[in-house]
Amino acid sequence: MNIIETRQLTKSYGKLTAVSNISLHIPKGRIYGFLGPNGAGKSTTMKMFLGLTSPTSGYFTIDGKTLSSERIPVLKKIGSLIEAPAFYGNLTGEENLDIVRRILGLPQSSISEALELTGLAQHGNRQVKKYSLGMKQRLGLAEALIGKPPILILDEPTNGLDPVGIHEIRTLIRSLPKQYGCTVLVSSHLLSEIELLADDIGILNHGRLLFEGTMEALRDYAFHAGYPADNLEETFLAMIQTDNAARKRGDDK
Amino acid sequence: MIFALELKKMRRTGFAPIFLGGGLLAGAVPLIDTAVRTETFTRLPGEPFSILMDANWSMMAQLTILLIVCGCCLIYHTEYAERGDLKMRTLPVSQIGLFCGKFGAALLYTLAALVFQGMALAFSGFYWFPEGIADFPKLFAGMGYELAMLLPTLALMLLIASFCQNMWGSLGAGVILTFLGSMIHGEHLTLTMLPFAAPYRTLYGTSAADVKTGLAICAIQTLLFLLIEIIYLRERRLHV
Repeated sequence: MNIIETRQLTKSYGKLTAVSNISLHIPKGRIYGFLGPNGAGKSTTMKMFLGLTSPTSGYFTIDGKTLSSERIPVLKKIGSLIEAPAFYGNLTGEENLDIVRRILGLPQSSISEALELTGLAQHGNRQVKKYSLGMKQRLGLAEALIGKPPILILDEPTNGLDPVGIHEIRTLIRSLPKQYGCTVLVSSHLLSEIELLADDIGILNHGRLLFEGTMEALRDYAFHAGYPADNLEETFLAMIQTDNAARKRGDDK
Repeated sequence: MIFALELKKMRRTGFAPIFLGGGLLAGAVPLIDTAVRTETFTRLPGEPFSILMDANWSMMAQLTILLIVCGCCLIYHTEYAERGDLKMRTLPVSQIGLFCGKFGAALLYTLAALVFQGMALAFSGFYWFPEGIADFPKLFAGMGYELAMLLPTLALMLLIASFCQNMWGSLGAGVILTFLGSMIHGEHLTLTMLPFAAPYRTLYGTSAADVKTGLAICAIQTLLFLLIEIIYLRERRLHV
């Protein structure tokens, strides 16, 4: 069963089409990796899922509901971290989480749980503007994870973290579907990152969906399409280069 | 709940000290003025409250408007500086409710600043005028009227601040409007009822019919600015 589905989803800014007719199928209880180079439309798609921007055409459903008609019930189910962590620098980590907690109607204990989960337990009383980049990223994750929402939308969640932090967060994300039964949509421009995290993968380039399926299906697809299939990084690069070349030929004509 | 959240967000921003300090500063205007020019005022015919308002309200109103400008800029600067607004937009909470919460929080602090000013006027009346300020209901009504006249200014300034991610933009617009308001407040009734000019009006200097009209205009203007914010929030989602 798909918890998020899109149909011909498109977002244009004037003449620029950031997302072009994509139809995604994100299965429930799995980690879906959203892969693409910078500017591929990953963040724009995620922003549409959160109601930060509206689709130009097409539609999507989240748990069978549309955001336009049921914004509040849909957003109650989603924890998110988009582009960079968002918070109030004048408040402490605990106070920031308390704002989210109150809006979501969660118990007080959820703050310490989220801090513990993201390794910020000892820094909860510090003002966030004094946090390091990695700590801010962890706070962004804590804001997304608080209350263990059934859907997590994480846009490049390991940005700004050191290798140890990346490993910790990756392990945490990997464990979430098993621990809490949640669905995770995670984006990255690094195939190695997605390869280690995701069960399913969607590859975007210039707003178009080039591939969607499991990792195994990607290997099969690469083999049959004549892309290098041994190394997924090379597969990804070959797919992007082929698509870019095809786009260029189309533009030249 | 939203109102409490908005008050919480203002922690450590300097919002409370600015409003309370500004309220005290505006309250000091009648105290210092009357202390320095006691005889000039006590010789004038009329009620002490009217005399004190005539002499000081322009300066007090301008300081209060500037407080509102700074306060609104600070509220939205806190939202935009570390993208707190973005987090709020991804949460299951009404965006217009958040705007109303900010309006309520700023109104509460404006009320506190006006209370200081009312207390200063009352003290000046009792201390320097032989007959004192006998009519307290009139003092309360007068300060209540000033609060009502400040509502559209507060709503418009909050609206402008919500438009500007760069605080200097909203601060600049606010300062320009403050001085524009101070220039037009003595002119035609239509002009004096505009935001940033209306707060210079006083209850005792306005006819009963004009008071009712003025209060109605202020209510309409405040609702209009709220409506513009609703449209802005909807359009932002479509075009951003």
